[in-house]
Amino acid sequence: MTSATLPAIGSAKPSALRPGRILLYVVMTVGAILMITPFVWMLLTAFKSNLEIAKFGWLPSELRWRNFSEAMQTAPFLRYFRNSLFIAVGETAFTLVVCTMAGYALAKLPLRGAKSLLNYFIVLLLVPFQIILVPLFLIVKSIPLFGGNNILGQGGIGWLNSWWGLIIPLGAAPLFTFLARQFYVSLPDELAQAARVDGLGEFGIFLRIMTPLIKPALITIAVFQIEAAWNGFLWPLMITTSDSMRPLQLGLAIFSQNPAEIQWPYLMAGTALATLPMIVLFVFAQKRFVEGMANVGIKG
Amino acid sequence: MSTTLERPALRTSRKVPPSKDSRTLLKSQIRTGWALLAPALLHSGIFIVIPVVAVLVLSLTNYSFGDTWAWVGFGNYADLFGDVDFLASLWHTVLYAIVVIPISMAISLAVALGLNQKIRGLSFFRTAFYIPTVTATVAVATIWLWIYNPGSGLANGFLSLFGFAPNRWLADPATALPSLMVVGIWQGLGTKVIIYLAALQGVSRDLLESSEIDGANRWQKFANVTWPAIGPVQFFVLITSIVGTFQVFDLVYVMTQGGPGSETRVLVMDIYQNAFQDLKLGYASAETVIMMIVIALFIGVGRLLQKADAND
Repeated sequence: MTSATLPAIGSAKPSALRPGRILLYVVMTVGAILMITPFVWMLLTAFKSNLEIAKFGWLPSELRWRNFSEAMQTAPFLRYFRNSLFIAVGETAFTLVVCTMAGYALAKLPLRGAKSLLNYFIVLLLVPFQIILVPLFLIVKSIPLFGGNNILGQGGIGWLNSWWGLIIPLGAAPLFTFLARQFYVSLPDELAQAARVDGLGEFGIFLRIMTPLIKPALITIAVFQIEAAWNGFLWPLMITTSDSMRPLQLGLAIFSQNPAEIQWPYLMAGTALATLPMIVLFVFAQKRFVEGMANVGIKG
Repeated sequence: MSTTLERPALRTSRKVPPSKDSRTLLKSQIRTGWALLAPALLHSGIFIVIPVVAVLVLSLTNYSFGDTWAWVGFGNYADLFGDVDFLASLWHTVLYAIVVIPISMAISLAVALGLNQKIRGLSFFRTAFYIPTVTATVAVATIWLWIYNPGSGLANGFLSLFGFAPNRWLADPATALPSLMVVGIWQGLGTKVIIYLAALQGVSRDLLESSEIDGANRWQKFANVTWPAIGPVQFFVLITSIVGTFQVFDLVYVMTQGGPGSETRVLVMDIYQNAFQDLKLGYASAETVIMMIVIALFIGVGRLLQKADAND
C-alpha cells in the first residue's frame, strides 16, 4: 500500500494543528487499522506453526515460509489457481467483446427504440443473480447439443461441469453494457464522420476509431469483471462436481469446512495467496476502479 | 435514469442533403447496430429474462428434475408459511438487513465526510477501507472464522486485553448472527464510502460558502446543504445495500453453515438447500418469489422514506 498523498486543494492556510484536525486523523487512522487488522492477522498466522496458534498471540516466532508451499500441497491449490485464472480471463474477454459492442450500438447508432433498449438493460441491471439461481441452473443444464444433450436440450448435462457453464452465463452483465454505453456517448460524432469520409465501414469505425478512445472504460470493466469472476462462489459451487474445474474460492471453502481438522496456518497461507492478486490489482488500478465505481453510483 | 447524462449531440456543420448515399449509410448503420447488439440481447434474454419468467412459472409446480411434474397452484406458497426453516431464514435475513443497512450506511457516510476534509493520505485511507470489498467473501469469511475462533482467535484475545471473559461467538446462538452482521458491515463499507465520497465532492461549493456567510454552523451546513444534495446517491446506496444484504450467502456458508441450530440460516441458503440438496425446485422457486416481494417491499419503504425526507 502506498502512502501517496492527495495534493492539498486550494486551502491557503495549513490547518494541520487544530485539535479538530488531530481528532479527525486519529479517528480515521483507528478506522483504517480496524479495516486492515484482519489481513495483518491472516498474514501473521500464515507464518506460524500449529503449536504457536494453540494460544492467542500476535507475532510468529519465526517466518515459516514453507507453510505456503506446504499449503499448496495439502489441497490442489495450484489447480484451483489455474482454474480461477482461466475463468477470470475467459469471462473478462467475453464481457469486453459483448458489452462494448452493445454499448456502442446503444450510444452511437441510429436504432429505433434505442432508448427503450437502454432502459431494458438498466432494469436487468437490478436483477440479482440469486433471484434466478434455480431456473438459470435448469437453462444451463439444457443447452442444446452440449454435454450429451439432444437438439431439444434433453438427455444430458448441457453446460454443467464445463468451462462454458462457468464462464458464459455470468459474463456480459448488463451493468457493463451500460457502463460502456456511458463512455461511448461522450465521444464526439465528428470522429466517426471523418472516418466514414475516409471510407471506413461502420464496424471498422467501432473497432478501430471509437473503442481505442474508451480505454479507461475498458480498464474499469476488466477490473470489475476480473474481481467478480475471481471472487465468485455460489455459481461454481452449484455447477461443478469435480475438482478439475473448481475455482479457488470453492477450494478454500471446502478446505475450511472441517472444523476438527482445519490447519489454520495453512488455511491462512492459502487465503493470503488467494487474496493477494486482487489486492495488488486494486492497488494498481485504484484510480480507475474508484472512478468507475463512483460513476456507476452517481450515474445509475 | 441515465438519460439525463446525455450530452447534447454535436451536429456536424456539413449538412448533407438526404441522398441515396445517406440512405444507404443509414441502412448500413442500422444493420451494424443490430448486429453489434444481438449478442448482448441474446445473452440477457437467455440468461436473465427467461430465468426471471421461469422462476414465476416454476413456483406454481412441484418440479424436481424428474420427468413428471404437476401444477400445484399456490400450494408451495401455502406450505412455505408452515415451514419453520423458511420462516427462520426469512426472519434472519430481514433482521440482518435491518441492522446492517442503516449501520453500514451511517458509518460509510461518516468516513466519507472525514475523507472529504482535504485529508492527507487520502489514497491510503481509501485503499484501507476498500480492501475488504475487493477481497472474496469466502476469503473474508475464512479470516473471520479464525478471528472468532473461541480458543486462540483475535476476537477473544482482544477481549482479554480488557479483562472480559472469552466468548464463543459463532458457536453461541445469542452472538452468532450479530457476529456475522459485524463482518457484513465491515466488508460492505468500502463501496459505500467511495460512492458517498464522489457524491460529497459534487456538492456545490457555492451553496456551502454562501450558507457559511449566512452564519450557518457546521451541523446546519450538513443538514441543509449537504444532506439534500446527496439524496439521490443515498437512494442508490440504499437500493444496492438492500439487494446486497438479501443475497448474503457466502459468508454464512463458510462461517456457520446456518448454525448453531438454524440461528443463522438465511434465505439464499435455504433456497440453495431446497433446490440443490432436496431437489425441490418448484418449492425453492416459490421461496425466491417471496424473496423478490420482500426486496421490493424494502425498496418501496426506502422510496417513501426518501420522499418524506425530500419534502421536509
